[in-house]
Amino acid sequence: MENFYIEATATSPEVDFRFEQNLLAMKGESYPENAAAFYTPIVQRLRDYLTTREDTAITANIALAYFNSSSTKMLFSIFDALDQAAQQGNRVEVNWYHDEEDETIFEFGEELKADFTAIIFNDHAVAS
Amino acid sequence: MIKPSSANQDCNFFDLAQQRNVIFYHMGYFSHTIITAMAEVVKLQLEISGINGPTRRKLFSSFVELSQNIIHYSSDLLQQAPDLRQGAVCISAEGERHLMLCANPIASHDVERLREKLEPLCHMSLDEIKQAYKVTLRAETPADSKGAGLGFLTMARDASAPLEFSFHPRADEPETTLFCLKATI
Repeated sequence: MENFYIEATATSPEVDFRFEQNLLAMKGESYPENAAAFYTPIVQRLRDYLTTREDTAITANIALAYFNSSSTKMLFSIFDALDQAAQQGNRVEVNWYHDEEDETIFEFGEELKADFTAIIFNDHAVAS
Repeated sequence: MIKPSSANQDCNFFDLAQQRNVIFYHMGYFSHTIITAMAEVVKLQLEISGINGPTRRKLFSSFVELSQNIIHYSSDLLQQAPDLRQGAVCISAEGERHLMLCANPIASHDVERLREKLEPLCHMSLDEIKQAYKVTLRAETPADSKGAGLGFLTMARDASAPLEFSFHPRADEPETTLFCLKATI
């Protein structure tokens, strides 16, 4: 399966899905003009990839410095897809990076952790 | 040549902006491209104003939510370019706090719907707002929303005082109402 890469813009994150390494990364800021339009193909590619995996160790590194309210729901869809893959026997580990002073992103991570319990969720507070 | 009297008036405007500690102000048309450019200015202004990191992040977040509200919901579309919609945002400092103001015209028939969304938020404690945020995050997106239906809750969560809002029907144009929203951060 081909890798999936989207370059970052000022208002959308870099998306770097290296499927053959089972390594998924998102990095940057997220307040695109239309969050649903930006994220729908990403969630689709992710789901397509996840259906091909079983008994696999998958790592997702997510370092979003800011995301707007309409991006939050789309992040929930991404986590939902990952959680389903974990429930089906894959080992899914998420590294959630945020500035140590950023309570909002830390708390959002806690929400994700509470809902998607099959994922191994690691919170990483990074010094600013 | 600049006429002395008009130059004086121009200076008055800058003086007033300085007295009111205006950090950023824009009135006019908004598009995604314009918001992107403004976001860069806002980030820089907040940083050089010496505001601490957490407050800066909350102000920036409110700025994005309000500006995107304008491009989604302002009823004043530029006819030759309907992607451009009119509104105003202002960020200023008031003592230890910061004010985020926004104004944009809306259709008068949307006033009640908007009031129903905002009114409850103005009477909730921060804990209740966070709770409502968690519930809405997991709920289906409302059909009338162009985002996630989380914008006002996000602003209410970032604010240090209840959101304030007002509606001003336009005397010469009853089908249009000016919507003003104030968040204290």
